[in-house]
Parts: sequence; C-alpha cells; structure tokens
Amino acid sequence: MPREIITLQAGQCGNSVGSQFWQQLCLEHGINQDGNLEDFATEGGDRKDVFFYQSDDTRYIPRAILLDLEPRVINTIQTGPYKNIYNPENFYVPKDGSGAGNIWAAGFAAGEKLWDDVSDMIDREADGSDSLEGFMLLHSIAGGTGSGLGSFMLERLNDRYPKKIIQTYSVFPDNSSSDVVVQPYNSMLSMRRLVQNADSVVVLDNGALTRIAADRLHVQSPSFAQTNQLVSTVMSASTTTLRYPGYMHNDLVGIIASLIPTPRCHFLMTSYTPFTSDSVEMGKTVRKTTVLDVMRRLLQPKNRMVSTNVSKKSCYISILNIIQGEADPTDVHKSLLRIRERRLATFIPWGPASIQVALTKKSPYVPMSTRVSGLMLSNHTSIAQLFKRIMTQYNRLRQRNAFLENYKKEAPFADGLQEFDEAKAVVQDLIEEYEAAENPNYLQYEGGSSGLGATSGNDAREPGRTRME
Amino acid sequence: MASHTRNPSVADTRRNAPSRESNTTSSRTRTASSTARERPERRSELRPVASPPPSLTTTRRTASGSTASESLRRVTTDRLTTTSITTTTATRRRADSIRAGSQPPVSPNPIKPWNPEAMLTAPSTAPLASRISFPPHSAGFPTNREPLPLNRMTLEVQEAHMLEDLLYCFMGLEGRYLRYKGDYNPEVESDRLMGPTYIIPPNLDPSLQDLTQSLLKIATHYSAVDAFVDVQSREEFGAVSHALCAAIRKVLKDYLVLIAQLENQFLTNPNFTLHMLYLHMTPTGHVFSQLSSLAHELLQRNSLLSDSPDDSDDEFGDVDDIVASLQNGGDLMGTGTKRRMCKGGSVLALLSTRLSAMSGDPAAKSLIGELLREASRPYMTMLNEWLHRGAIRDPHGEFLIREQKSIRREKLDDDYIDEYWEKRYTIREGDVPPQLEGVKIKVLLAGKYLNVVRECGGVDVSKEIKDVPVTFDDIRFLENVNSAYAHANESLLELLLVTHDLPARLRSLKHYYFLDRSDYFSHFTDLAAAELKKPAKQVNGSRLQSLLELSLRQPGSITANDPYKEDVKVEMNEMALMKWLMKVINVSGIGEDGTDLMADETRSATSDTQEKELNGYSALQLNYVVPFPLSLVISRKTVLRYQLIFRYLVSLRQLEASLATTWQDHSQLPIWKHRSRNPAVEAWKRRVWTLRARMLIFVQQLLYFCTNEVIEPNWNTLQEKLDKVKTVDELMQDHLDYLDSCLKECMLTNSKLLKIHTKIMQTCSFFCSFQSTFARGLQSVEGPDARGATSDVIHDPGVFEKLHLHLNKYEENFGRHLKILLDVLNYYAATETVVLLGLCARLSTAMSEEDHRTLDIKFR
Repeated sequence: MPREIITLQAGQCGNSVGSQFWQQLCLEHGINQDGNLEDFATEGGDRKDVFFYQSDDTRYIPRAILLDLEPRVINTIQTGPYKNIYNPENFYVPKDGSGAGNIWAAGFAAGEKLWDDVSDMIDREADGSDSLEGFMLLHSIAGGTGSGLGSFMLERLNDRYPKKIIQTYSVFPDNSSSDVVVQPYNSMLSMRRLVQNADSVVVLDNGALTRIAADRLHVQSPSFAQTNQLVSTVMSASTTTLRYPGYMHNDLVGIIASLIPTPRCHFLMTSYTPFTSDSVEMGKTVRKTTVLDVMRRLLQPKNRMVSTNVSKKSCYISILNIIQGEADPTDVHKSLLRIRERRLATFIPWGPASIQVALTKKSPYVPMSTRVSGLMLSNHTSIAQLFKRIMTQYNRLRQRNAFLENYKKEAPFADGLQEFDEAKAVVQDLIEEYEAAENPNYLQYEGGSSGLGATSGNDAREPGRTRME
Repeated sequence: MASHTRNPSVADTRRNAPSRESNTTSSRTRTASSTARERPERRSELRPVASPPPSLTTTRRTASGSTASESLRRVTTDRLTTTSITTTTATRRRADSIRAGSQPPVSPNPIKPWNPEAMLTAPSTAPLASRISFPPHSAGFPTNREPLPLNRMTLEVQEAHMLEDLLYCFMGLEGRYLRYKGDYNPEVESDRLMGPTYIIPPNLDPSLQDLTQSLLKIATHYSAVDAFVDVQSREEFGAVSHALCAAIRKVLKDYLVLIAQLENQFLTNPNFTLHMLYLHMTPTGHVFSQLSSLAHELLQRNSLLSDSPDDSDDEFGDVDDIVASLQNGGDLMGTGTKRRMCKGGSVLALLSTRLSAMSGDPAAKSLIGELLREASRPYMTMLNEWLHRGAIRDPHGEFLIREQKSIRREKLDDDYIDEYWEKRYTIREGDVPPQLEGVKIKVLLAGKYLNVVRECGGVDVSKEIKDVPVTFDDIRFLENVNSAYAHANESLLELLLVTHDLPARLRSLKHYYFLDRSDYFSHFTDLAAAELKKPAKQVNGSRLQSLLELSLRQPGSITANDPYKEDVKVEMNEMALMKWLMKVINVSGIGEDGTDLMADETRSATSDTQEKELNGYSALQLNYVVPFPLSLVISRKTVLRYQLIFRYLVSLRQLEASLATTWQDHSQLPIWKHRSRNPAVEAWKRRVWTLRARMLIFVQQLLYFCTNEVIEPNWNTLQEKLDKVKTVDELMQDHLDYLDSCLKECMLTNSKLLKIHTKIMQTCSFFCSFQSTFARGLQSVEGPDARGATSDVIHDPGVFEKLHLHLNKYEENFGRHLKILLDVLNYYAATETVVLLGLCARLSTAMSEEDHRTLDIKFR
C-alpha cells in the first residue's frame, strides 16, 4: 500500500513507548496478539498497511525496527504479550549489550559499528514497501542510546533516503527532576540532529506528561506505563488520518506541510483531550465532549504536552486539530468561528493564520466513552523556551566542563569538543528563529542597505493578531 | 367477383350463398332478409312484380335468416299482444291491394333496360362491414316503371304506401315514393356517413306528411349509424372504436328485429296505422338520434365528414407521432392520413362527456353508459396489462401512454438527458379519458416502474391478471390504479434499494468520485505518475486502466473489498475541466441568451492552444459502468456531475500534492534549508516559504470545505432522504439534487467564482513549477559554497533582483486574486449560497496580514 511508514525505535524510552504504540494500533485495527485479525475486525474501513505488512500467513507485522544497546527493554517486549507480532529479524541488540551509559557519544559511536546491520534491516523494510513515505523515530533525547544512536540514525537516514520524510517523536527530559546529570549535553547534541536532519519533531516533554498525568488523571506520581500510554494515545491519534483514510491528510507530508511553513521551525507540540479511562488507566471521565469543548480545551496551555511559560509574544505558527469520532462539520465550523471571535488562539502576524481540522473515524473496535476526542498538533513559538531551558542547563554544565571525560573517549569527540559548540550554535539559531517568528517583521529584511525585501513598512504592529486568553 | 341474377327473382348474393330457402310470401322474404340486416338487391325491380313469383328465393346470410323468420313470428306475437291478431286473409288482402295499387303499367318492352348489378366491393379493414355494392339510385329508375302518383289514391292507400316505404327506409333503402334526395350518393363515404335525406313526395296527403317526416329522420339516423359502424370498425380506428362499433351493432340488430316485427304488424294487422308505427318507433328514434349525433361527433373528430369545419385545424398536431411511427418502422395509418384520429382514450373521453351531459335523460344515459362500458373493455385490458405487467400492447396507438420503442435501454450509456426515463413512455395528452385524468401520472409511473422491474425479470408475466376491473364503471377502478401504482412503486424501490443495493452503489460512487477514502487514489497517482505527467493525448489509456485496477485490488486497501470496483474505468477527457464547466454553465444559461454558445465556440477555438498543454492529471477522469436498472438513478447525467466534481477534487489534490512537493524541496534541499548568512536572502526565502504556506492553506482549506462542508452534509441529507423515499422519481430527484447542490456549493456553477478561483489555482501551480528557477537563482545568489554559508555576500545581485521581482509578482497575483475571490464569495454568500460564508471564513486565513487589514476595513 502506498505511503508506508517505517518506525524506528531507539533506546529504552523509544522501545517502551513503541511497544505501547503497537499495542494501541493492534487494538484499534483489531489485530490480536498473534498478529492475526480478530474475527470481528472485518469492516473497519481502515488501512493497516501504512504501519503493518502482511506476512505470508496473513499475519500483520509492524513495519518496526527495534534498536537498543542493552537488552532489558527489548527482552521485556520479546517476552511480553505482543511478542509475536514483531518480525524477530527486526530486533537489534548488540551482543555485548552493555548500553550507552547515558552518554550521547557512546550511543553515537555505537551507531557507527552497527550501522551495517541496521541499514540492512532498514533497506529490507524499505524494499518491502511500495512507496515508502518516510520514517518515524521514537526516542528520548536525554539518555545515551535514544539520543546518541537516534542522532546517528537521523544523519544516516537523511543521507540514505534524502527524499523521505523523517518524523520523530522525541521525548524531552523533565528538566526539574532528572536522574541523568549529563542529560543537557545529550539533549543539546541530539537537538542539532533534530534541527538539521528531521523534517518534523513531535516534542513530548516528560515534565508536561507527568504533570498532565498527575493533573488530569488524579494520580500523584504517574507510572511509566501511564505516561507511555499518554504518548501512545497521542501517537495513534496523530496517525489516524493515515490509518483511516478520509478526504484529506492521508499522507504524512499533507499533515506536516501545512504545520511547518518554514523548514527550521519544525518542532510540534501536541495536546490531547479528553484522556479517559479508555485510553489511559485511571483516566477521569470527562462528560461533555462537544466539538467546541474539545477544540477549546486543546488550546488550553495546561493540556499541552510541553511545559512552557506562555509569554505575551508567543503565538501559534500553525494548528492542526485531528478530531476523532462523530463530529459534525457544521459544529467544527461553528467552533472555529467561536475560537476566532473569542480570540482563543494567537497566530503569527506574518503568515496564514489557520486552524486546520481533520475529521477522522474512530476505531470501531475500541469502545470510547466520549463522543469526540481531539488531538492538536501545533507549531507554537513558545517551544523555544524549552530549548532555552536546555541551553541554560547546558551552559551551566559546560561552563564547569563537567562530566566531559566520557564524551572525550568516544569517536565524535576525538578531535575536540567543537561538536558541542556547533550543536549549541544550531540550537541558538533555532531559538532565534522562533523568536524572530514572533516578530511581524519576520518576512522583512531589516538593517541591510539593499532593502530589497521590504515592500512596505508596518513596524508599529502588535505582535499577534489575536491574543491568548 | 360478383355474381348476378338476371331474372326478376331475388338472388341475394352473400357470402353464404349456398344456404337458400324459399319463402312463401315475398313480403316475408323481404322482411326476413332485412331482419338479417341484408341489403336487398334489386329491390326496385322486385317491387313492381305484381304477384310473388313462385321462384322467389333469397340468398340469405346463414341460418339466421331462416331462424329469424321463425323467431320473428314468435317475437312479434309476444311483443304486439295488444294488437289483435289479425287473420291471414286480411293481411293478404291488404298486401295484395298495395301491390295492385303499386303495380306500374307493364310494358312488355321497356324503353331502357333496367339491369342493376350487385357486386362485392373491395374488402376494407373492417371485417364485418358490408361488402355488397350499393343499389342503384332511384333516379336511374326507368320512367316507365314509376309508381302511380299518390294523389290518385285514397288516403288509406297512401298511408299503406307510406308505411311500406317507411319500413324500407328504416333499413336504409329507398321506398317507392320516399326517395333519396337528389345529390345523395351512397358511393361517397361522407354522404353515407351523414345519412340520406329522404324526400316526401309532394302529392302526399298533408295529413300524413308530418308523421312521415319525423319517421324519416329515424331512417336517416339509422343509415348514418350503419355507415358509421362500417367505417369506424376499420382497423386504424383502434380497439376501442371496434368495441364501440360492436356495441352499436347490437343496438342495430335489435333495431332490425323491431323493424321486422313492425313489418309483421303492417302485413297482418289491418289496423296498423302510420300513427301506430310512429308510437312504436319513438323510443328507438330517440336512441338513434343519440347514436347518430355521437357518430357525427366522432366522425367530425376524425375529419371523415366533408363538411367538418375543423378539418385543417390540427392537421399537423401530431407530427411527432408520425415521425415516431416512421422511426419505428411502423406503417403510416392506411392511406397516409395525417388526420388526427379520434380513437382510444378520445373516444372514451367523448363518450364520458356525453354520458355526463345526458345524465338527465335516463334512456340516453343507459344507452351511452352501455356503450362506454363495452368500449372501455379493450382499453381496460391495455390498462391492466400496463398497470400490472408494465407492458404496452397497443398496436393502434390508443392508450394514454405512448411508448417510444426507438429509445432503447442500451442507449442509457450515453444518454445525457435522461431520455430513456423521460421520453420512452409519455402520456398522450389529450387522449386521456376523463376517468383517468386525475391519476394519469400514477398510471404512467406505475407502468414505467413495473416495466423496469419486468426488464429485470421481477414480474411474473405468466401469471394471469386476475380480479381486476374490466370496465370503466367498475367501482374498483381507481382503487385498481392506486394499488397498482403502490405495488409498482414498492417493487421498483425494492428492486433498486434492496436487490440492487443502491445505497451501496452510491457509497461506492462517493468513494470513487469524491475520494472520501482517498487511499486508492493516492496509490493510483503514485503508480501512474509517470503516465499522468505526459500530455493527455499521449497517455496510454489501457496502461492507466491496469494501474487503476492494480491500485483498486491492492490487498488491504479499502477498495479491495468493494464489490463494484470492476465497474470503474479510467479515461482521458481532453477538454479541460474549466472549459467544460464553462460550457455546462453556458448551456444551462442558454435559455436567456442563445448567443452564449456561439461566443463560447469561438473562444474555445482560441483556447485550443492551451488545451494541448493539458496533462494527464488534468484530463484524468473516471467512468463508471452502471448496470440497469440502477442506471436509471445513476444515469449518465448524474455520472457527468460526479465526473465534474471528481475532476475538480483531483485538481485540488494535485495542487496540494505539488505544493507538498514544493514544501519537501524547501525543507529538505540544503539550499533552502540552511540559514543564509545574508539576512536579505534569508528574508526572501522566508517570503517564499510563507507564500507557499499560504497557498497550501488555501488549497487545503478549499479541499476541506468542498469535502467536509459540502459533500459530507449533502451526503448526509441524501442518506436521510433515502431512508424516507417513497417513490422512484423522488429518489432520482434526490440524487440529482444532492449532486447539484454539491456542484453549486463547490462553486462550480458560477462562472465568476469559477474564473477567479481557477486563476488562483493557476497561480499556485505556476508557483510550484517555478521552484526550480527559484532554487537555481538562489544557488547563484548564495555562491558555490552555500552549504558552508561562510559569507554574507550576495554573489549575483542581478539575479537576486530578479528573484524578488518574480516573488513579488506571485505574491501580488495570489493576494489580489484571493481578495477578489473573497469579495465575490462574500457577495454570493449574502445573495445566493449561505454555505459559501464558511468558505470565506476559511480562505481568509490564507491571506496575509496586510490583505486582512484591508479586507477587515472593507467589511466594517
């Protein structure tokens, strides 16, 4: 089937999230734990081929490649309930599975060694698809494997498949409570690859995930499983338009092209509502789910899966709401008007200000207590604050030259630490880019002598057309 | 062909010549022969014979002649019980006296031989019409055989002569004294149909004149009616006329029986007077005046009377009919008459009008009622055949439904105007009997529906139609129509909705044409990209078809389970969508302005150059083979609408795809992706990106609007209607409405909107195709080491200048056209289609901030 997507899961976090994601997809498509279709799953109107392929014995097998440098999580998957759905050839753990020790450089260097094997796996998967659309990388950027190996993979994928789209679901570390001291280093180094080698990055802020899990689900300290469920819900929701084809947004590029007007600003936030016990254990029942409610809640900062302080200047670059369930188009239209009237969303002053909506089906096999649920993918300038925080933490560590020994040992840093500086420059550029995007003069060339870019002066403009409430 | 008798004896040559029978008295023979409704030949010759020749034989028709004379006597005695039965002698005497009195001077050598001949005339299409030639006119009667003038007789004898003559006249013959008016010629049909006028001899005693006069009217009427029956029962007048004639024949037969009885009276009852005859004839006279006026009216309608005033009126009223019958290879009626026939329904209509006009006259009412009942039988047979089997058996074209056999079902495949459904069966307006006038639509629909069901084998034709009314005056008449209609409607709806699963078909159509699950289509365009990029004329159709089938059969895709995927065909339409739409719009507007089409033709000639550039994507179109009877609902005309919307959606998707490709270039090619050190270059790139984003938003919003806000709601409305639909025509209309409102709300029916948003789309696609130029320009501006981006020098200021100019042009074009579109949309949203307001709100998001301000100001 066209527009296949190959999922790469790297590291502990990536694989745990990934296994949850596949479990979710299996439920939604009515695929049982052996990979066979359930008897009831006959008329789903769904397209399984984007994420699965059918083996000779008609089992559905995820187009997934599971990579880790230490065997623990992969072992869990291989012994877990859904162990049979994966292609056993697609697991990759090096023999001496000692892990990357939370060192980005170790993961990156390991990538070099195992690339031959992994690239074979990727090529095999790519050959098995009719028209591969792109890759989805699941990883965290804090640890060693997900960030280091992930970064390596991003670079190589970009070279090897320059025309394919690379989307990542990147779990960003919780900056307040971290158990990995070098995580700012890892994040910074990964960020460079996310900026340069990925086409779109869905940012999942661990801090925000924990907060949402705690707030929304009334759990004091949410378990990993619960946050992973949050993530997998978001992931499955963001891919519904691919899996349940409708009129529009049936390919990855269609979804992200409108979300990402300028190539470097491709870090997307997500919001999801409502989390109910259907999607997450212990989820709170939220009664009222009209389209307007859902769309309004999606715009509330507290539902965002990225913790940022919204400044006055920050604004949306673009929004895509994926509404699942029985949504009446006229309700959607009314809600959009209402949102506009009440100025619930502030948009960039220089570009198209649109909330795109994609209406999709819900899986008929997963009972939902709510009529409508929604996922918002948004490109918001306030995400720069997240990067700034990483930057600050990084600077704090870097000034002290703390913990650098482990990095210096590895190949990327054999010739010195300029890798750090380059990464920092890239992230700095990114932050500036986002800040510039809040400026109405974003499109104009200022200060130059030629003045070619400026067509008209409109300096004394408010930053945003509409203001957040 | 004719046989003659040369002797004075009567040899009435009829078809059944062998059955001969001798009668004792000539009078009885005559009576008997007249009873058998024969035209006695040479009666003028016979009459002068003084005494009954012994060899007087009559060739009578069949046994009815003999039995008639037998039964006659009985009937006579039964009927005329009031009159005293007179002795035979008295009657003999009387008859003899008449004969004696009427005996002309016998001249052994007549001056002029009187040799009247009887022969068989050429057969007409009326099987029961008389074929005996008419007796010669009395004007040619030899003068030496003229009867004695009346004024030389006593009053009594005069009366007796009148009585006898009248009896002849009652049978349409001339009497000895009562003769046809001079110019009457039985050979001329119209004369016969008018009936002869008799002249009363001037020397008749005045006391007898009045009675004779009024009795003669009956004679005239009888002749007219008799002729009418002969003429009107010809084949071309149709089954209803035949039935009517048969009914009238019955009346005529009774009439002749009466005449026979009266003759018997005349011969046997010495007290039988002219007055008594008058008394006996009065009720019959009434009947006959009714009949003759009915006949007259019918004949006038058929323009069979020479003096009919409206002869030329509707001469060409039914040219269609004739053309149709020519097309059907049918023979033109009889002698190529162009007259409008009064037959079938019209005859019934005429009868019915008469019936209601005569409701105050019980005798006439019962007469006409009976005629109507009889005449309606064949019609009812047709009606029942139609109502209960959906078939027309109407060789004479009299039924209220006309069938155009030339419009065949096979032509449904390229029937863009619903010809089959609309024109194959039509109502013959003006030929509808008043009883059916109120339900004629139901009758039409019932049969039409049933016909479809029948063509699909859903009606058991072998089953006899039972328990249905056979005449018009049956009380279950309307009930019959209504129940048949209900049944037909139900069975066709059932056939369409259940047996042929129309809802599933419509879903599948929506699926293929509106791309509501567009996975198959993306796959198809992926597979066929190479082919579709070619100019439309070079595209290999069969290759496309196989690619389409490949993508439809792809296991795992949703279409793979669709049972109707075999029916989808891909084809190239070499006319650009916009041109096509313009044509459609112009044609529909032709009522107001006929010159439009001409202008369009000239325009299209000039735009032919553009057409050559049409590539596979824009020419791509799907065809859908719809099997009968679903093709009635999903007719060509609706498929055309599907195609229009499909092509429009495809063009939007294509544009979206190329903008997405542009996006991919922008975000993946290093030349775009990296950050230029020169802020001017960076600013220019940002503007390019933003413009692309605006275009993408525009296209996506448009697509969203067309699908989610136009097609989906309309589809839901259609679904609701389908659940409630009562009749098939409603169903067809609902389906058409659904498509029409989709077309309208997608802005495809308004030439202004169409033009503007086509322009925007063109701008977008030009912009996409311009990207390589942009990239090249950028390369030369940034210099060879762009990747390193070490310097902020603009390497080629001239090129950079150009890049700006181009971008300005695109920005301006897009912005301006979008603004115009929004203005126009706002206008139409306010005046015509409210739905467009939603689009307006959506599209305005694609505007730049500046444009927005001006727009806001404008609307404030």
